[in-house]
Amino acid sequence: MLDKDTEEVLELIWVTIESGEPAEMERVLRESGVSEVDKHIGVLSQEGLIEISGPRISMTTRGEELGRGVVRRQRLAEWLLSNVLELEREHWEGTACEFEHILSSEVTESICTFLGHPPLCPHGKQIPQGDCCRRFSKEIKPLVLSLTELAPGEKGRIVFVAPKHHDRLDKLGSFGLVPGTVVKLHQKQPTYVLDIGETSIAVDYDIVKDIYVKKVASN
Amino acid sequence: MHNHTHKKESGSSGLPKIILLGNPNVGKSVIFGYLTGRYVTVSNYPGTTVEISRGKTTINKVAYSVIDTPGVNGLLPMSEDEEVTRNILLNEKQERIVQVADAKNLNRALLISLELAEMGLPFILDLNLYDEAASRGVTIDTGRLSGILGVEVIATVATRRKGLDKLLSGIKDPRPSTFRVRYGNNIEDAIATVEALLPEANISGRSLALMILSGDKSLTDWLHSNLDPGKISAIEDIATTLQGKYKEPLGYVIGKKRMAEAEKIMELVFTISKPERGGLREQIGRLAMHPIWGIPVLIVVLYIMYLFVGDFGAGTLVDFLETVVFERYISPWAIRVADTVIPFDLVKDLLVGEYGLITMALSYAIAIVLPIVGTFFIAFSILEDSGYLPRLAVMVNRIFKLIGLNGKAVLPMVLGLGCDTMATMTTRILDSKKDRIVVTLLLALGVPCSAQLGVILGMLGGISFWAMVVWLGVIVCVLFLTGYLAAKVIPGESSDFIYELPPIRMPQFKNIAFKTVARVDWYLKEAVPLFILGTLVLFVMDKLYLLAIIQKVASPVVEDFLGLPVKATDAFLIGFLRRDYGAAGLYALQKDGLMDPLQTVVSLVTMTLFIPCIANLFMIIKERGGRAALLMMAFIFPFALIVGGILNFVLRAVGAEF
Repeated sequence: MLDKDTEEVLELIWVTIESGEPAEMERVLRESGVSEVDKHIGVLSQEGLIEISGPRISMTTRGEELGRGVVRRQRLAEWLLSNVLELEREHWEGTACEFEHILSSEVTESICTFLGHPPLCPHGKQIPQGDCCRRFSKEIKPLVLSLTELAPGEKGRIVFVAPKHHDRLDKLGSFGLVPGTVVKLHQKQPTYVLDIGETSIAVDYDIVKDIYVKKVASN
Repeated sequence: MHNHTHKKESGSSGLPKIILLGNPNVGKSVIFGYLTGRYVTVSNYPGTTVEISRGKTTINKVAYSVIDTPGVNGLLPMSEDEEVTRNILLNEKQERIVQVADAKNLNRALLISLELAEMGLPFILDLNLYDEAASRGVTIDTGRLSGILGVEVIATVATRRKGLDKLLSGIKDPRPSTFRVRYGNNIEDAIATVEALLPEANISGRSLALMILSGDKSLTDWLHSNLDPGKISAIEDIATTLQGKYKEPLGYVIGKKRMAEAEKIMELVFTISKPERGGLREQIGRLAMHPIWGIPVLIVVLYIMYLFVGDFGAGTLVDFLETVVFERYISPWAIRVADTVIPFDLVKDLLVGEYGLITMALSYAIAIVLPIVGTFFIAFSILEDSGYLPRLAVMVNRIFKLIGLNGKAVLPMVLGLGCDTMATMTTRILDSKKDRIVVTLLLALGVPCSAQLGVILGMLGGISFWAMVVWLGVIVCVLFLTGYLAAKVIPGESSDFIYELPPIRMPQFKNIAFKTVARVDWYLKEAVPLFILGTLVLFVMDKLYLLAIIQKVASPVVEDFLGLPVKATDAFLIGFLRRDYGAAGLYALQKDGLMDPLQTVVSLVTMTLFIPCIANLFMIIKERGGRAALLMMAFIFPFALIVGGILNFVLRAVGAEF
């Protein structure tokens, strides 16, 4: 078991590589907020999680896996805090960082399933998938689900719209499809039709599936 | 099929302006018609108006110029027609704006009100369709709303002229709204910095700054012609830095803030008493897009249209006009008059000969095509006003997806059955350039306009049901195949399908009548001169023996490849001017017993796919550019002949009989 600060350093290296940039030693030293960075790098290297060649750090398969787990836990926690508990950004950002160090793998899977295996964190970055996502097990009923999972006639309050394209968000917005709005799923076939207040709009499945809602009682 | 209003933008430039704007399908064009006395097409689907119409009005002896604009869901443009509206605000000095709103959808209208307030433009808010809102149990505290926004708010039912007197008195001196949305420190700071860099404009710097921060790409041209590059890059830096502070796109963050404000206002002024739902019209609306019931509804709609247009228009009316009015009275009378009054054979021939202006041009235009387009326009206007068309889009969205388009494309395609020229213009409602090109091509290739369709149905109806099936099958297959391939070949992204469904409404007799008259008037003015021109061309070529030469040159194609009588060449020649005229020529051949059923089917398939009429060609050039138009023609002309030839070969090989 790595200690908290070492995990932070591992996470930083993982995220840097995820963003497509090389993990330069100098950058890691500069950007990690923990003290005695070089000591932690040493530990990671000793444990066989990273390899250092000159100025550059690369990850071993095991290191990559561990790092992915850390990032996964953090991003899931962010999702939970921001979209389900609806905390303000300033409150959840710090807290989510704590979560990543304490969640066991069982708890992580439960949270992930509970949330409906969300694809993206609130910053719009990918949440690395776990075994539970691949199995698509739904033993635990998710609280937040994709609008496509409602039955016709059911209503949901929008929690989150996965921001794939900017234009799409703006356009959905102009019809009132933003977090907080209650939508009624009118029909699914042959094309999805949603009722928002007194407006009915026809929308593609591809767009509807990116709208996440909490079910509300329909009268 | 609409009156071409853009040609009449005459001499109203010096007058004070009234601009009508608002969400789609809220009745701007009805109010425009009321103010100016000019009819612009009014229908019940979003996107009827795709370009600006201008007219004049006089209120209390003061003359104004009135501008009708395409509907928008916000002043940050998402498609070409929305950009048109925003640019009017940006480029013309505004004195008076009437924001027309759908009362029951006040929240969406408020988004535009808030943007107008930001722009600092004087406006009044007209809550139209108030009867529809009331029937759904909606009440709006207009006094309070007026107090919050600081502008006059009135309620109207424009189609019944209720409340329009208040509109007239309110228009005289509208005020800019005093309401301001605050966006929080981060954004407000950025607004202030950007605003300071911007030049003087017709709308407030604050609103421009917000548009730029929202990532409005359509402003790029305006920026580059009004601002030096250094400032532009400074502005871009500010936008990038600001974006870094938000997880969502800035435009969305700003939009959400506005929406939250609109929602707060809604809570204060908007109440809805009884739960929605119920009512016969709503039932019909639901059935029309039901996965199972939608299909019988479609069949019934098509069947009624067929009875009215195909049976009554193309059958009864054409028979009467052609065999009774023209053949029994007008033509013999004209021939007699010509024989006695005109001494020159040439002039006589010109009027009443084989290619005579009266015996051919007028009899085709008035006797064959007019009754068909007339009945079609009536039927089509009823469909448009009922609100059925957007539900049809829901039904066929999946099918259109197969060829890389979406259900929204059904609107221009169905409008094309009225007139391909106007439908080509309506492609503006599509959101991506690729979609617009593909639909324009399909319209030009294989969507027969009402005039042509009527003649075709009349001819095929006279043969057999199977003839109709073969014709329709070939055309649909060709459209699909072409659409599929075009979507692969033409670069660019397809757009999303997000389309608002208007409520089902009872079509109003007055509007149907107005619209039909306007369209018939348009047909007479635009098509008849082309019929006459085409006849003149044939006449001259006939007299110079050119026609015989062309017939001879074309004979390998027309006679051998397509297996048609040589006279069909005439029909294809005039088909270059208008396909319906060409079809009418084929109709005459069939009636004279010069073509058997198989030949009729082949000739009609070829003519349906033949190059579009001149008016449509010009519209394609205008909307898509000369190069695209040329490419399309270069594809369509040989393609039509090849498909016809193959069909001829296949039908003969299988020994098809109709």
